Amino acid sequence: MTIMSLLTNALHAYGRKKALERESIHLLLRAAGFHELPKLSASQSLEVPAAGERVLPEMFTPPQDAAEKQTRVKPLREMPGPSTISNLIEFFYRDGFSRIHEIQLKHTHQYGKIFKSRFGPQLVVSVADKDMVAQVLRAEGRAPQRANMESWKEYRDMRGRATGLISAEGEDWLKMRSALRQRIMRPRDVAVFSDDVNGVVADLIKRIHALRSQDGAGQTVMNVNDLYFKYAMEGVACILYETRLGCLQEEIPKQSLEYIAALHLMFSMFKTTMYAGAIPKWLRPIIPKPWNEFCRSWDGLFKFSQIHVDKKLSEIKSQLAAGKEIKGGLLTQLLVGKEMTLEEIYANMTEMLLAGVDTTSFTLSWSTYLLAKHPHVQQAVYEEVVNNLGHDQVPVAEDITRLPLIRGLVKETLRLFPVLPGNGRVTQQDLVVGGYHIPKGTQLALCHYSTSLDAECFPSSTEFHPARWVRKDSSDHVDNFGSIPFGYGIRSCIGKRIAELEMHLALAQLLQKFRIEESPYTKTVTAKTHGLLTPAAPINVRFVDRQ
Amino acid sequence: LRAEDKVTVHFVNRDGEKITVQGNTGDSLLDVVIDKNLDFDGFGACEGTLACSTCHLIFEKDVYKQLGPITDEEMDMLDLAYGLTDTSRLGCQICLSKSLDGMTVKVPESVSDVRQSVDVGTTTS
Repeated sequence: MTIMSLLTNALHAYGRKKALERESIHLLLRAAGFHELPKLSASQSLEVPAAGERVLPEMFTPPQDAAEKQTRVKPLREMPGPSTISNLIEFFYRDGFSRIHEIQLKHTHQYGKIFKSRFGPQLVVSVADKDMVAQVLRAEGRAPQRANMESWKEYRDMRGRATGLISAEGEDWLKMRSALRQRIMRPRDVAVFSDDVNGVVADLIKRIHALRSQDGAGQTVMNVNDLYFKYAMEGVACILYETRLGCLQEEIPKQSLEYIAALHLMFSMFKTTMYAGAIPKWLRPIIPKPWNEFCRSWDGLFKFSQIHVDKKLSEIKSQLAAGKEIKGGLLTQLLVGKEMTLEEIYANMTEMLLAGVDTTSFTLSWSTYLLAKHPHVQQAVYEEVVNNLGHDQVPVAEDITRLPLIRGLVKETLRLFPVLPGNGRVTQQDLVVGGYHIPKGTQLALCHYSTSLDAECFPSSTEFHPARWVRKDSSDHVDNFGSIPFGYGIRSCIGKRIAELEMHLALAQLLQKFRIEESPYTKTVTAKTHGLLTPAAPINVRFVDRQ
Repeated sequence: LRAEDKVTVHFVNRDGEKITVQGNTGDSLLDVVIDKNLDFDGFGACEGTLACSTCHLIFEKDVYKQLGPITDEEMDMLDLAYGLTDTSRLGCQICLSKSLDGMTVKVPESVSDVRQSVDVGTTTS
């Protein structure tokens, strides 16, 4: 860290732009951006606003009112925020990268709901107000841009790879998005994966039995995230690749282990990865490690996808040769269809798998933790599940409509611990946000963590209360732009429905089978940012049989 | 298709103009807007995949009551719709049936309409 911060300063001093800061933000984005949304997590935190100016909701009132009330649109230079120097110290010297979510809150309190920060030449405008977030997302064009993805693109160009949904922009992105959303975004298209996912849930439950027995009568499963990581990987792979990987077996197959290693490398070097893009090319011969590791982890991720895509492709070819009708799921349809090239399929399978593992596993880990810490809440959700399904009926997607507390549990978990604490957008037109003129091309950071915990959006905002999401009836609407963990609109998370299915089915069945309890090994766990918002320590809980 | 498979729909656009078209039973209102090339700016951005609420439409009270059940996912997206009313639904989720023949649906003012009119008065910086 220290070396890096020196490096940063040196770069500044020499005016070698290419902006560390700017790149680091992007990296953050990239690294954070596992979700299809914009990945600005880093950036959002970067800034700080000005003390409590409550500009804004003018934009939301009808035009005539707006015209009357509107006084003057302020230029960006009048927007408050932390100084460049204090930001550098916060992030590079005080390791702010692991506290991005906290800094986001701190800056929001300090400077207000819209503030600017500078990371070298890169200006980031943070937006921490639900109405302003809504305004920005509603103003989107047909191919919204999250952030600069240069280092991702550079790797892909170097290896002759295509970009996928996370790394692509513009028309390239739109073409792939259109093909993929028609297959995995509609709830009814995803509901058909219920049986596949339930097969994985069955293995998850078996695995819990095996792991808790290692603690004898204590029945504690240590570090549930490790378990959920494997569940999520297995779950998303059974949908993306139409195959099982064996992650939840006692002996994990070698290929899958290699992939997990590549994924861990990508994740563990989150900071390094940021520097990989941040370090100017001319410095790479001197500091080669970040870029090399960045490439090595991508190599591992692509290799794994390619193995599975190629395997499916050869199956299809032999079926064709035998004159058989080709039937299959997502990958089969993409391979048979003509919308995407083979390279684009590799790239999207790689990026979607990458995006679909840690995100889901962290959320399941937090849900488990919150249920253990709040037995009364758990009891209410449990009763809803068994009143509808008993202890043995395996739920499918359609059953979840009768389990509003299961849906509320996932929403509330993501509100308290939004796996992507912030997101990014590059404005594609001039906007007036919060009374300020925001020129086209400005990097925005949408501060989801701050709005999620804003008591104006959510009363008793720090309390865990899944029932807040349960509607009295179909006319019971809330303006919930304060918590949009999957984003909103055409660049929102493409895996949203898949992730929801995986989480709803797993949580419903876990509650049917087990009471989740604190054990002597259960510690208080806080969140830290590591690209994504993650548990800062292992979550250890007891799984006690319900029957 | 036979004439009895056609359903007449009157759209009222953001300028208050009435546009009358015919759609096929079973088609969604989003399908109708696309098939008939109706120019409602930004309408149906996510192509009916329940990822946005840009195909938000406002129905007459009586018609609203006859529309099919509303899913949780649609309600979640309606929460994010601009200018939500008590009789709002997403056009991608409403399929035409004979009983809806002759209905009038209103395309709500969009946020960009507001933005434009504000911009006109205020872009000073």
